[in-house]
Amino acid sequence: MEPPKIWRERREKYLALGVLCHDCKKKNFPITQRCPDCTSGNIEEVKLAQTGKILYFTRVSQTAKEMMFYAPYIVALIELDDRIRVTGQITDTKFEDLTEGMKVRMVFRTLSKNGEEGLIGYGFKFVHI
Amino acid sequence: MNKLFQGIIMSKLGIVSYGSYIPRYRISIEEIAKVWDDDPSEIISQLQVFSKSVLGPDEDVATMSVEAARNTISRWKGNPKDIGAIYVGSESHPYAVKPTATIVAAAIDAEKELTAADLEFACKAGTAGMQMCFGLVKSEMIKFGLAIGSDDSQAKPRDPLEYTAGAGSAAFLIGKERVVAELEGTYSITTDTPDFWRREGAVFPSHGNRFTGQPAYFQHIVDASKGLMEELGTKPSDYNHVTFHQPNTKFPHTVAKMLGFTTDQIDISLICKNIGNAYSASSMLGLAHILNNSNPGDRVFMTSYGSGAGSDAFSFSITDEIEELKSYPLTVEYYVNNKEEINYGKYSRYKGILR
Repeated sequence: MEPPKIWRERREKYLALGVLCHDCKKKNFPITQRCPDCTSGNIEEVKLAQTGKILYFTRVSQTAKEMMFYAPYIVALIELDDRIRVTGQITDTKFEDLTEGMKVRMVFRTLSKNGEEGLIGYGFKFVHI
Repeated sequence: MNKLFQGIIMSKLGIVSYGSYIPRYRISIEEIAKVWDDDPSEIISQLQVFSKSVLGPDEDVATMSVEAARNTISRWKGNPKDIGAIYVGSESHPYAVKPTATIVAAAIDAEKELTAADLEFACKAGTAGMQMCFGLVKSEMIKFGLAIGSDDSQAKPRDPLEYTAGAGSAAFLIGKERVVAELEGTYSITTDTPDFWRREGAVFPSHGNRFTGQPAYFQHIVDASKGLMEELGTKPSDYNHVTFHQPNTKFPHTVAKMLGFTTDQIDISLICKNIGNAYSASSMLGLAHILNNSNPGDRVFMTSYGSGAGSDAFSFSITDEIEELKSYPLTVEYYVNNKEEINYGKYSRYKGILR
């Protein structure tokens, strides 16, 4: 990942921040300039719930070069306790131990490494509780 | 001899919150011994360590530091924007140039009005960070300071260190409000003692074998501990719990005996037998575990050791505020018990030995 992208996305990736619209009261992820539901600009950054449950999950074996170190890895659609849905990796858990509906908690992990000399991308993943 | 904050500190200054993190993976001494045709029972009897913690493939010192820092903030329930300094002590920072402390600051939402730095002093850089925070808070330059000790300990395959080089992180929030462990004093020893080193660009550290014992670990811990107790007018029997740097379980037991502490006083801190030597986090994880098992009125003693060499000794008095923080679920004990055994093959992959 290039420096500007890591820098620009760090608040949503590190802190799992979304936006709350003060007009339609809906919460969304990721951070946007306007509310994706009602297009209002009357929004503020909010922290998403740190726990949730797995809706669907799959295992990724063939992936981009900078991700091959981690493969095979598990990607899941998670419904957080505040009803926001996010995609993220499940870590520290064996694929065969996962079930839909399993409770998960956000953790901070490396997401990618740009070779031996490039930047390290960090962000949230999930572990089962 | 370097004396810091001599004597009893009058205003209430101390640890406001604490947090820890230990990765999930473990490799047993038997599994490592099998690879090198060593006798595991002989190694276990020498080191009194049974397994060590290993980082997962998507973890490093920055991720562990963030987890420990977040546990500290969640336990405290304060505003991270009030933190005026973050110091991360480690000898395995993910970048040679690009501070881990900046990643921690962003990941706990403490940006951007604060000072931060990465520290290196072998296994005592974390406690050096605690002293820096105590100084800044006491002088009222900052309101709260966060000191972290964190390491993905390095050891050359087949080196005796490979049996114990573990991983972990511990963080302490220093301040003057709602103090759970009041600082009674701190005292340091620093000498040029070449017992353990890693040259710039080298992958693995080197060490002076038996030289790492008497003139290094034991001499510095004894001098710093005795120095602080003399300054404070205390004696080992005044303390309920003590923690020292834990390169293995035998060394802290021996140094405790040399100083006049009993097995009962040190036993609770010795998590090394399950997770190995977490380098910069070693004595600090012992302290975090002690705090979670202490009661108001208890007195706690800690002396770190960093090769090269130096020791920082601390004396704390536990306050009534500790009861509020003990119920936080992600404790040292939780992480010690949350584990999965791996074999040497997977260990080699996770440690980056297989490329």
